Amino acid sequence: MTGKPYRLASGGNRIDRSKPLSFSFDGRTVQGFAGDTVASAVLASGQRVFGRSYKYHRPRGVIGLGSEEMNALIGVGVGARHEPNLRATQIELFNGMTAVSQNRWPSLNFDIGAINNKLSRFFPGGFYYKTFMWPRAFWKHVYEPVIRYAAGLGKAPEDRDPDTYEHMHIHADVVVVGGGIAGLTAAEAAAAGGVRVLLIDENPVLGGIADLTAGKVGEGSVAGYAKAVADRLAALPNVQILSRTTAVGHFHHNYMMAFERVGDHDPSILAAGAPRHRLWKIRAGHILLASGALERPIAFANNDRPGITLASAVRGMVERYGVAPGTNGVVFTNNDDAYLTALALKKAGVNVQVVDSRARPQGELVQQAMAAGIEVSPSSVISKVDGNLGVKSVKIAAYRKGQGRVITEKKVDCDFIAMSGGWNPALHLWCHNGGKIRFDDGLASFRPNTHTDAITAIGAANGSMSVAETLAEALSAGEAAAKSVNAKAKAAKTKLPAVEEPSRGALEAIWFAPATGGYNEGNKHFIDYQNDVTAADLELAQREGYESVEHTKRYTTFGMATDQGKTSNLNGLGVLSEATGRSIPEIGVTTFRPPYTPYSFGSIAGSLTKELFLPIRGTPIFNWHKDKGAVFEPVGQWRRAYTYPSAGEDKHASITREILAVRNKVGLLDASTLGKIEIKGPDAAEFLDRMYTNMFSTLKVGKCRYGLMMNELGFLSDDGVTVRLADDHFLMHTTSGGADRIAAWLEEWLQTEWTHYKVFVTPVTEQWAQFAIAGPKAREVLSKLEPDFDVSNEAFPHMSFKIGRMGGYPVRVFRISFSGEQSYEVATPANLGRGLWDAILAAGEEFGIEAYGTEALHVLRAEKGYIVVGDETDGTTTPIDVGLEGLVSKKKADFIGKRSLEQSYLKGPNRKQLVGLLTEDPNDVLPDGAYAVREVKDKPPMAMIGQVTSTYMSPTLGRSIAMALIENGRARMGETISFPLEGGKVMKGKIVSPVFYDQDGGRINA
Amino acid sequence: MLEARFESPLASLAAPTDTYVSMREIAERGMIDLRGSAGDRKFMAAAKSALGVDLPKQPRTTATWGDVRVFWLSPDQWLITCPRAKAQEMADQLSKDLAGIHSLAVNVSDMRAIIRLEGEGVREVVMKGSAIDLTHGDYPPGTVRRMRFAEIAALLHVVEDNVIDIYVFRSFAQYTWDFLRKAARKGSEVRVFPKAG
Repeated sequence: MTGKPYRLASGGNRIDRSKPLSFSFDGRTVQGFAGDTVASAVLASGQRVFGRSYKYHRPRGVIGLGSEEMNALIGVGVGARHEPNLRATQIELFNGMTAVSQNRWPSLNFDIGAINNKLSRFFPGGFYYKTFMWPRAFWKHVYEPVIRYAAGLGKAPEDRDPDTYEHMHIHADVVVVGGGIAGLTAAEAAAAGGVRVLLIDENPVLGGIADLTAGKVGEGSVAGYAKAVADRLAALPNVQILSRTTAVGHFHHNYMMAFERVGDHDPSILAAGAPRHRLWKIRAGHILLASGALERPIAFANNDRPGITLASAVRGMVERYGVAPGTNGVVFTNNDDAYLTALALKKAGVNVQVVDSRARPQGELVQQAMAAGIEVSPSSVISKVDGNLGVKSVKIAAYRKGQGRVITEKKVDCDFIAMSGGWNPALHLWCHNGGKIRFDDGLASFRPNTHTDAITAIGAANGSMSVAETLAEALSAGEAAAKSVNAKAKAAKTKLPAVEEPSRGALEAIWFAPATGGYNEGNKHFIDYQNDVTAADLELAQREGYESVEHTKRYTTFGMATDQGKTSNLNGLGVLSEATGRSIPEIGVTTFRPPYTPYSFGSIAGSLTKELFLPIRGTPIFNWHKDKGAVFEPVGQWRRAYTYPSAGEDKHASITREILAVRNKVGLLDASTLGKIEIKGPDAAEFLDRMYTNMFSTLKVGKCRYGLMMNELGFLSDDGVTVRLADDHFLMHTTSGGADRIAAWLEEWLQTEWTHYKVFVTPVTEQWAQFAIAGPKAREVLSKLEPDFDVSNEAFPHMSFKIGRMGGYPVRVFRISFSGEQSYEVATPANLGRGLWDAILAAGEEFGIEAYGTEALHVLRAEKGYIVVGDETDGTTTPIDVGLEGLVSKKKADFIGKRSLEQSYLKGPNRKQLVGLLTEDPNDVLPDGAYAVREVKDKPPMAMIGQVTSTYMSPTLGRSIAMALIENGRARMGETISFPLEGGKVMKGKIVSPVFYDQDGGRINA
Repeated sequence: MLEARFESPLASLAAPTDTYVSMREIAERGMIDLRGSAGDRKFMAAAKSALGVDLPKQPRTTATWGDVRVFWLSPDQWLITCPRAKAQEMADQLSKDLAGIHSLAVNVSDMRAIIRLEGEGVREVVMKGSAIDLTHGDYPPGTVRRMRFAEIAALLHVVEDNVIDIYVFRSFAQYTWDFLRKAARKGSEVRVFPKAG
């Protein structure tokens, strides 16, 4: 059905006929006008099929007018900019747009998957659960891939998204969701009180469906009233209007998220630098929910054929876009509102008749329709639809409420159907955060009841379906909201204009229209179009015992599609109600979950992608490392230089070179990431005695001491060197990764446990750039750097420090060593760091100084048997386990973890203890983490007695070395133990002291 | 003589031209972290004599005397800003005047990077990374507060209506700069409550 002139000769309040546009739909060039949606333009071109359904691959067309659309899901854009699963009714047209239909192969009109429809008697509710259970392995390798290919909707793009996205935060006194007549009126009333009002609306044009609403407000139309209020709001300084923005979720404490489509409708906006989408994170004082109502489809046989549309959507197509749904139609309704559609069609010159399930429709609109010569068939339903890719004819059957089968019927030719089963208040946002609802018999729907948040539903969202009621309610709710956030808010003093609107007859619920013959076989009554769930599926679930509505939902997938049951929920409950004889309130509702409509992953990520994905910390020397070609290693959020391969070198070669430079000459390490914390106060020394396992109150001013920290459980948590700057003043060093955690740990003890201590703790990590100059030539390098202090071994021995200057650089120099060599850690203010680094390299040049990275550092310390907290410890390791019993004070009355060390299992035998390992073959390097076993067997399980914690090829010793935690390790010196590896190889290693190099420590003190 | 060479955290970056508010690093400012109890009268008096101004006691406020500005950070912590050249001398003076009084003054001039944002829209640029609402009347010039900004901790100082300084730890300078550059990109203006006073 293409090529027919469905665009009416005139009309269309949204389109600008002077601005024709052209775009591509499934490769075909389609013409439209500025203001069209993809849906309206494609329909105008005569095409009705927009896609194939999820499970049965049935042809589907447009059903709705806006965000409630569940059928016409399309993909827009090409390549990396392709976005699948968008609602064609919401996509605003621009020149050159490329759009495609989805879930069809090879084409829309002929689809191989449609064979599922012919086989549908084999696809009942719960089909997947029943069928693919066996054989088990088939699920992963056969069933799932095939199902995923055949089902599903659009395809995700494969390339990186080239657009930008961002977040925006705002607090607003009053947030109004929905820009229809309720939202506009309430926003103006709230704004008159002087508070800040944020109005959110998902459409490009404010007004909601005022243009599709009958009646007069004041002297003009409802749409005219809406436009006037919208214009006044736009001029108010305290009102922010977000159009094309969907409130997607409502959360605790009136937190709301809204998804703004900034640039989707106009590529020139994107080109100018705008983010494609913006995610708003909103904190609201009071929320006015004016989200309107959604029209219900009716469950009749084959109610999913293209050309069967909601009555409001037909009206919208005619009034907004000047598009006729066909030439000869049937309006099928159970309420008066759909008569407006019949009247609009008649006025547009489209032939139409009304089928009304009610026995005596008699409202004003019904009268008007009859007076206009429209044929009305009361007590009737559509019992059958003929046609596959479109509607060819229907059968109209006599109907009486409660009657389950067709007695008489007549065939009527037609090419479209407009259906209306009544209106459901859009309750989703009301319910996201626990709002209660109640069933309203008049509406045959749920409406808001109570809520614990400051939120008020108004207008159609509150079930108030008349203009007069809506305006009155909106005005008072707007004033009240302003008052509730600001008691001094002025009253709006607005006088509502007089409203005239047609009186309405009562609606009569119809949950199922009986069909000719057995239903579900070629006669499907669709409830959830997007997930292809029929009335028969729901009844089957009942018969099979899935009685709870939540079970029915999961068994049949009803309401679980991307539309979250907007149009299907209540119809499904109605079917269940009739199937079980329970009332709808007794059946209950399923949970409404955010989002209201799907929003993009890009908007969720916001700007935090690529270089902003994770904050990366660099030291003052970072650029030098980069220029030098350093390989970087992550240490927390820091990037530290791991090694510096020069041209032609691999990492192994550069690490070896760096290590030998430190052992034989002198090396320079950027240690700026070390945690640094100043601790001062009359109780500082006693405080440190409690934090560390060893004694600090005895430390002399000018001296350094290595300390161990445990947690309350007695397990090692950090280590480092602390120095005494003055009697009451210390500088603590922590591990690089522990800097923030230990500062918080100190504060926590001071603020929550030992509040009587007078101690201040100030983290100063980033104030200082700090470098280790290590190696036998370290002192010679230092002395060339113009120190104003005596650097001789006597005046400046190991574990002491100096504060002074080196040339123009203010410095703190600590003689401490993590390499086992003569070593000075030089700290200077960070902004002078790079200058001093360069100066040290220049001064060291004649001694062959080399920068070394963190891997060389780790090998150097392992050669000396120094532990790294986190390598040699795993959160269950005590100081005694790692052989540092000597650092656990016997004299101190108390310190953190002391009591825990007395527990039997920490004192007991067979603890894993730190030992060194030498492999039988010196070229064998044990894998990190390799397990030692008591006895090697052909295959696991084997009893494990410990694991490797650090393992390296030591260039200094010319052989491999390792450290390990081994059961009773210290008692096993000299014993050889086995490490079965993957692939069957077994490495053997002899247990030795973990100190492999310079055991008497002569080099440190040299 | 070995001359000290100064290099600020963002020294290698040029001011961008593609943003709708201007961005630049402030490198010439010195900073001192001062700890002490606001309830200790001796401490408060000694601090005033060293700084020339009372330490602010009200949360989120600042106090100014000449080129010295004091930020309230918590009931027992203040950040003092002054010209960089004066910072060490002032920290030493504070330590001297506070001798015998429980306190801790540390020169932390190099610990943070400062980025100045200037122009129409600075407040909304910050709001793209922080949940605080700077368009609210709670944030007049002189306001200081710490905040979570993008994925990190930052300190915010509203200098004037359209001038904001953001302080972050030095190692996050590049990250902060990159985030702000993206947030302030021309074309991404939000104009939140544009007509509000």
